[in-house]
Amino acid sequence: MNLRPTREQRGYAAAALLVFVVLEVMLALAIYWWPAFEENAAALAPIFGRIPVMLDQFQLIERAGVNAYVVGQHFFKGCNTLGVAAAVLLAMGAVAGEAQRGTLELWISRPLSRTRLYTERYLAGMAALWLPILASTATTNLLLRMVDDHLNLRMLMVCALHECLFLGVIYSFTFLFSALGDQPLRIAFVMLFFGIFEFAIYMVKTATHYSIFRTADIQTFVTMMRYGLEGGKTALLVALNLVPFFVGLVLFRRRVP
Amino acid sequence: MSARTLQCSGLTRSFGEKLALAPLDLCIGPGGVTGLLGPNGSGKSTFMRCLLGLVRPDAGSVRVDGVPLKGDGVRIRKRATYIPGELHLYGEMRGAEHLRWLLRGRPRGALTRARELAERLELPLRRKVRGYSHGMKRQLLFAAALAPEVGVRILDEPTEGLDPTRRGQVLELLAADAQRGTTILLSSHHLGEVDRVCTRLLFLNQGRLIADETPARVQERATRLLQLTWQGSVPPGLKELPGVERLRIDGGRAALLLEEADPRPFLAALAAREEFPAPTGLEMGNLSLAELYRDLYGVEGV
Repeated sequence: MNLRPTREQRGYAAAALLVFVVLEVMLALAIYWWPAFEENAAALAPIFGRIPVMLDQFQLIERAGVNAYVVGQHFFKGCNTLGVAAAVLLAMGAVAGEAQRGTLELWISRPLSRTRLYTERYLAGMAALWLPILASTATTNLLLRMVDDHLNLRMLMVCALHECLFLGVIYSFTFLFSALGDQPLRIAFVMLFFGIFEFAIYMVKTATHYSIFRTADIQTFVTMMRYGLEGGKTALLVALNLVPFFVGLVLFRRRVP
Repeated sequence: MSARTLQCSGLTRSFGEKLALAPLDLCIGPGGVTGLLGPNGSGKSTFMRCLLGLVRPDAGSVRVDGVPLKGDGVRIRKRATYIPGELHLYGEMRGAEHLRWLLRGRPRGALTRARELAERLELPLRRKVRGYSHGMKRQLLFAAALAPEVGVRILDEPTEGLDPTRRGQVLELLAADAQRGTTILLSSHHLGEVDRVCTRLLFLNQGRLIADETPARVQERATRLLQLTWQGSVPPGLKELPGVERLRIDGGRAALLLEEADPRPFLAALAAREEFPAPTGLEMGNLSLAELYRDLYGVEGV
């Protein structure tokens, strides 16, 4: 059995490492500045006050302390922004990239089933997305030693799992579009525009409840730190991961090279 | 016995309004090299893709090396190798790495044989594929397709873009493989390029099989084909001259299929009749695929 990683696997590993490093640096800096943030909270309030939705989040951090600050910084800020971009970038070229460069026929003409090819690539990208989030979350308590603090790691990992499922939805839909299309850049633009649009309406008090980021904001994670995963929300996210995957698989199996 | 054969029955495929494959019934093999000839868009590649399950037929059945086409055709692709007509490789991979990638899912020995073949074809396996010429890329695919020990090989234009020396080398390797009992189906749109190794020639046009011949029979008919040209139009009454089996007229050009390979009786009769002016051009036997389609099979617009 040949265990030497392929170029594709090395590519996914490099992407995962890059995401991990960026997330880790962002988390380390956020934790390093926590005492300063806490000390200057009163002065920061008027700045956040200009955007009502942000003020709500800020007040939540003031009430819940380091708990809300860390999940806010790591999941809401770090993972949601970098993660959405990573999800789109990892999935956009999965199939469409092969079609665009003309290698689709070569890729599928080997003696491997399309289900296997599609699933392998889907899982490799998903792993490259999830592992950095889970790994960086696992280091939170190590970093919190800088400020002599500590959080419930188990609940943090529960939050990380929720974040992974949330980003998995973006990834799965991008992957679905990639299975149908042959223009990875167009797919990326559409998905990133969607992400930015969703983040923008999150900030609008009257429209915030229509934003997908409502399911992965500070309030969500603070509640999750206390009570764990919400069954209904988690089931919905799992479904939104699986449905595009299977729809894409069915369509990919019928795709003409 | 269906081992080492390619069989299809009622095979049909359309792309929107365009009929790519009319109902096609064929049995190829066991053994031998079968050439699939036809102009661009005649359905050669679609036919080959349908055999491998890369394109799902709209109707009909396919059986390759005894295995029926089901699902995405992975069982067939395990028993057959394939070279796609479109030449797009992963330029960032080195030759050796690309061979390994191409042979994923094949028994281990295939990679060793592919490396040996590549060395025989003098391919620089350490170099990145983006630095390969068109012909080298084609040969890399060829090495990967010839290495696995399978009963059937389906090769879409395997010699396209190769210089005459390499083409000869590739055809020799194919002939040797066929000697071992492998069934090879290869396509080309150049008559005279691949037919010297073929034991059978299939001619496709607009998704239909228009002729199923042996190379000797095509050659024999081609040698009976006489092309005459006149300035202006072809004089009437040529068909009445002795020894003319079929006549096609296209402007000032007449293609005559003679009853005999020797054109002298016909030419003597032509010269003896005063109402026929002397032709300005005369050609015999040397046919392009388009001429062959037009003059032997009566297919226009190729």
